[in-house]
Amino acid sequence: MIEKLKQNYEIEEKNQRLFKIRIKQEELITVISSISSTTNFITLSQIACADWIEDEVFTLNYILTTDKRDKNLMVEISIARDNSSIPTLMKLFPQAEVMERDLHEMYGMDFIGNPTLYDFALEDWKEIPPLRREFDTLEYVNSNFEFRKGREDNRDVKVEIKRRRAEAKKRLKDGK
Amino acid sequence: MENRVIKIYHGPQHPGITGNMSLELDLLGETIKGARTHVGYLHRGFEKLVERRTIIQAFTIVCRICVPEPDPNEENFARAIETLAGIEISDRAKYIRTMVLEMARVASLLLWIGGQSGSIGLGTVGQWSLFDRDLILDLFEELTGGRVYHMYIYPGGVRRELPDGFLDKLFELLDYLEDRLPLYDKVFFENATFKKRAIGVGVVNRDEALKNGYVGQVLRGCGIKRDTRRDNPYLVYEDLDFEIPTFNGCDVYARAMVRRGEIRESIKILRQIIEKMPKDGKIMQKIPKHRRFKIPKDDTFVSTESARGEYSYYIAGDGSEKIRRMQVKGASLIHGFTLLEKLLIDEELSNVAMIMNSLGICPPEIER
Repeated sequence: MIEKLKQNYEIEEKNQRLFKIRIKQEELITVISSISSTTNFITLSQIACADWIEDEVFTLNYILTTDKRDKNLMVEISIARDNSSIPTLMKLFPQAEVMERDLHEMYGMDFIGNPTLYDFALEDWKEIPPLRREFDTLEYVNSNFEFRKGREDNRDVKVEIKRRRAEAKKRLKDGK
Repeated sequence: MENRVIKIYHGPQHPGITGNMSLELDLLGETIKGARTHVGYLHRGFEKLVERRTIIQAFTIVCRICVPEPDPNEENFARAIETLAGIEISDRAKYIRTMVLEMARVASLLLWIGGQSGSIGLGTVGQWSLFDRDLILDLFEELTGGRVYHMYIYPGGVRRELPDGFLDKLFELLDYLEDRLPLYDKVFFENATFKKRAIGVGVVNRDEALKNGYVGQVLRGCGIKRDTRRDNPYLVYEDLDFEIPTFNGCDVYARAMVRRGEIRESIKILRQIIEKMPKDGKIMQKIPKHRRFKIPKDDTFVSTESARGEYSYYIAGDGSEKIRRMQVKGASLIHGFTLLEKLLIDEELSNVAMIMNSLGICPPEIER
């Protein structure tokens, strides 16, 4: 099976049971439907996305699994971070619907043909999609929430650790 | 009186819902005509939090992704980091990890018996099974310091050596649990009420089970022998002798019977671990201090068989001491949406909780 794939794609062998190929965005449907119909990689286990903001791309790894569930193939595409849209895989794999819905909410990319790209885990989210690297969790919390009263004397943990260490050293030096 | 469809929300505040989620149901009388899953009541943003932390800081929160099953999360996280960092753990550490995962499986299956029996009104069974689960949690407390969240399976091995006499106590507990199993058969698995309610309900289409990515008891309840421990083995599962229980029927009862068999198999596995575990060996490999612990720019995909099916992590590093991306796919993501929404159509309202429990749906791992 892997030998068959090697005839058409450059395969990175991560280990005996995990393989990876990189394809162009426009080849996605053709390649995945071809692999799933001609090899044993018949199911989609996960669509994993990573944000490489420094390269201005998202990488999407479509993880296909064999019918025996003994090997996984990562099919990787890179897409532009801005106005990114890619076709849905719902027609090939119904489970892609919920995976794409999740990624749409977290990264903002569009999956053309997926009718359920509405709220998933977030409700009435007005900010930029939260898993994009430019979304600053700390800034969001500081500007949207108030800290509970009674914690005004909170100290910075790092500063406090340094202070305590210095005190302990001093005590040791003084022989106390 | 005119028949009309009414809409109700089953959850999130409902005793028959598995965790914090809700189902939007369209009802015609008592019959379900439409179902939509809603999650988001327990979204904690773990995947984002992980990106702000060092690897070891991230380790402390992954166990919280799934409340009833923290250990497969720890194992996935640790194994992915070890794969990327090129760390090989000792045989003893592998045995200890396998032991923890199997203890967690039995604890989780006992918790499941409590949930499923409660969903059909057999309240006493749940009290028994949760008591028995507590005995496993006692051992976890002794081993790790924590009852539910253990933070024990650490990148590089495990955090602590086994306490003195731990394996003896585990052995005694296994004897006790094995004696209890016939009682569970009597009061639950062979119970006429349960059989009447569960047989022929929530029937999964066997032909689409593999292609649609169903896992765990949903597959095995359709007679399809798939288990990550056997198909894509990790730790020491290749050296252990165990069966993969299957059951034909594809319904709620079949999935329950698969779980029944799995408790027995896990006890069998634990006995072998006690016998085969190397007496010596490092439990932790030397790893860099946490602020200097870096993983290369690479990615990997790992899976662990949880008590509800295959549980996967995708982890990508960028050469720094932080993880660029950690994406979790829990055992129940596909079951909670693709499968459940379809399975509930034309079922009775009173069966919703039972069907959900049979699929092993855990909302915390869906929304993370």
